[in-house]
Amino acid sequence: MGSSSVGPAVSDSLPSSDSILSVQNVSKKFCRNLKRSYLYGLQDIFSEVAGLERQSDRLRDQEFWAVQNISLEVKRGESIGLVGVNGSGKSTLLRMISGLMKPDTGRIVVRGRVAALIALGAGFNPLLSGRENVFINMAILGVSRKDISDRFDDVVNFSEIWEAIDAPVRTYSSGMRARLGFACAIYTQPDVLLLDEVLAVGDAMFRAKCYRRLAEMREQGTSFFLVSHNSNAVLNLCNTAVFLQKGQMILHDTAEQVISRYEEALLDYKADANKGAAAAVTAKGDSTLATELTIDKVFFIDKTGAPIDALKSGASASICICCSVQEPIDDAIVIVMIRELNSGTDCVLHISSERDKQPLPLSSGSAEIRLNLPYCGLSPNLYVMKITVARRPFYVFDMVESFRFEVRKSKNMNQCQFYQPREWQLHTAEPAPCEPVSADVS
Amino acid sequence: MVSPPFREIIYTPTSRIRSPKRLLAEMWSDLWHSKDLAWRLFTRDIRSQYRSSFLGTAWAIVPAAMTAGGLAFASSAGVINVGETDIPYPAFVMLGTILWQTFLEAFKSPEQAIKASRTVLSRVKFPHEAIILSQLGQVLFNLLIKLVLLVVIFIVFKVSVGWTVLLAPFAFISLIVLGTGIGLFLVPINHLVQDVSRSMDVLLLVWFFLTPVIYPVPDNALIAFLVRLNPVTPLLVTARELTTTGVVSEPIGFWVMSLIAIATLLFGWLVFRLSIPFLVERIS
Repeated sequence: MGSSSVGPAVSDSLPSSDSILSVQNVSKKFCRNLKRSYLYGLQDIFSEVAGLERQSDRLRDQEFWAVQNISLEVKRGESIGLVGVNGSGKSTLLRMISGLMKPDTGRIVVRGRVAALIALGAGFNPLLSGRENVFINMAILGVSRKDISDRFDDVVNFSEIWEAIDAPVRTYSSGMRARLGFACAIYTQPDVLLLDEVLAVGDAMFRAKCYRRLAEMREQGTSFFLVSHNSNAVLNLCNTAVFLQKGQMILHDTAEQVISRYEEALLDYKADANKGAAAAVTAKGDSTLATELTIDKVFFIDKTGAPIDALKSGASASICICCSVQEPIDDAIVIVMIRELNSGTDCVLHISSERDKQPLPLSSGSAEIRLNLPYCGLSPNLYVMKITVARRPFYVFDMVESFRFEVRKSKNMNQCQFYQPREWQLHTAEPAPCEPVSADVS
Repeated sequence: MVSPPFREIIYTPTSRIRSPKRLLAEMWSDLWHSKDLAWRLFTRDIRSQYRSSFLGTAWAIVPAAMTAGGLAFASSAGVINVGETDIPYPAFVMLGTILWQTFLEAFKSPEQAIKASRTVLSRVKFPHEAIILSQLGQVLFNLLIKLVLLVVIFIVFKVSVGWTVLLAPFAFISLIVLGTGIGLFLVPINHLVQDVSRSMDVLLLVWFFLTPVIYPVPDNALIAFLVRLNPVTPLLVTARELTTTGVVSEPIGFWVMSLIAIATLLFGWLVFRLSIPFLVERIS
């Protein structure tokens, strides 16, 4: 069945020496019937203890494959994302890799120290103080007593709960608990970090901080194995990604490819969530992220340079992004993602200066980055734009999460999905050289 | 989890018991590595238990004291008749109850350990021996507190203690070893078959009455036979004799049972270890 799974092939032979994690034809089956699953559990334990063959490659009555024939390899320093809708087997795979469950077929080879962030603060005791819990939690995660003492200050600094560290964890807010849990896990200094949807916690500020810390770890050579529903997280942290559906590997390719495929598939599942909300034209107030660069203002101008409050289909315009730059940045990347406001989560336009191979060296001071659109190809509608300024490996300086704007009608656009720049010509008997249209719609 | 960089770990579906050498090495290394963690978990549990209760350590004594007190009263009032005991009955009952409760706590400790760390078990890989060791630490801790009470009772009833009391810890430990071994062995059944864990309380009550806890080993034919079949009997009786009179009535029974207890512990440990991945699939 796995023959249809595409992407970088993993040979059946031994994993290459620089691979840190190798998953070879791994499957896992589960049983939907609770009583039966307990019975099978007893059966399996008996075979395990007696050393019998448990014929785990065959399905018993009412069993199904939660994960089927997955093969992948992660090299040292590489990161891989795992996407798929709920129940597609992502967490099961992750748990097998972390050694919590045995695979039913195939094998998993791990070279190096693996830390799984499957739940933050697992084992926190609400009655004990944060300090005591840090020691216990990190001990559970496998850090020696001395190392915990050495890293304790870093953990507290990262989690930002200096004043509450001696109070019982019961008195913490859920965000504080998550912060402390994340800090504990991150300072175990693993070679491979398995992350299962843990970044969905905390406020935006702390999340950004987590992402920055993860980016730092990546630079230091930590591999990530990231399970996420958040496309951006995968795009930002991973080189490659795997799309799982019903336990099978649908696609294993670059993160961009996989995400676009995943988002296509998601459209079938997700209803529109982004309804309502008035259109705010100039956005931006809170500078929550890094200090090196902040986005001050985003606005549109027309071809004369005059500010405009909406775009027009077919008309030329520029998106201006004004930033304050504290330290010179020689490899900034600007990513502009545009979605329709009322139609779910699909991205209609994704423009990246990196993909366009446009270097953006920024010197300190204020800078205005302009994205010129010779023709606005979007059809009349309401849109949401997300602007990110970052650098590789993914480190977000600042972003504007949702900049709402309108595209108005300039000509008759009925029955058009987008504006096509065009010219008409009439050829007479004497052939004239055909002039190509210079601009294109991305 | 305590793996030095580049150590290769391989997970396959084949039974780990097929490579016994590696399995034993892993068991030993996990046991060794879990001692730090076990100590932390133990202190965590003790602290949080006593931080949230006003009576604190008294809770270790109250159940034993109540049982013993009640039985002593019943005996003195003539409600029950247990026959002659070597030492005053209240002291006899107290000692017996403490021994039985220690066995019981050891017996229940693996199940307790898994219940208490359900979430951690299903989310983090760590040497599972740690949770068992920390529970055993609690058993010992409770035992020490109860022994303080016992000393008081012995002084009150002027029970003289021989030099053999120095050997008594071995018998105490044998009891704990047997309890833990059976408990570990029952872990998968207890967690996968609800009926077993439910009927456990009833079974334990029957077991309690078939153990010479509140009465000396009887002479009556049928009950004596059952009591003698009971694996706890030689260990409990020897522990009691070593603590008080110093005359061991069944040394061979004690030695045989101690060896069986050790074997049970090792086998139980193996079963526990091998069954954890299968339990994790189902308890999370």
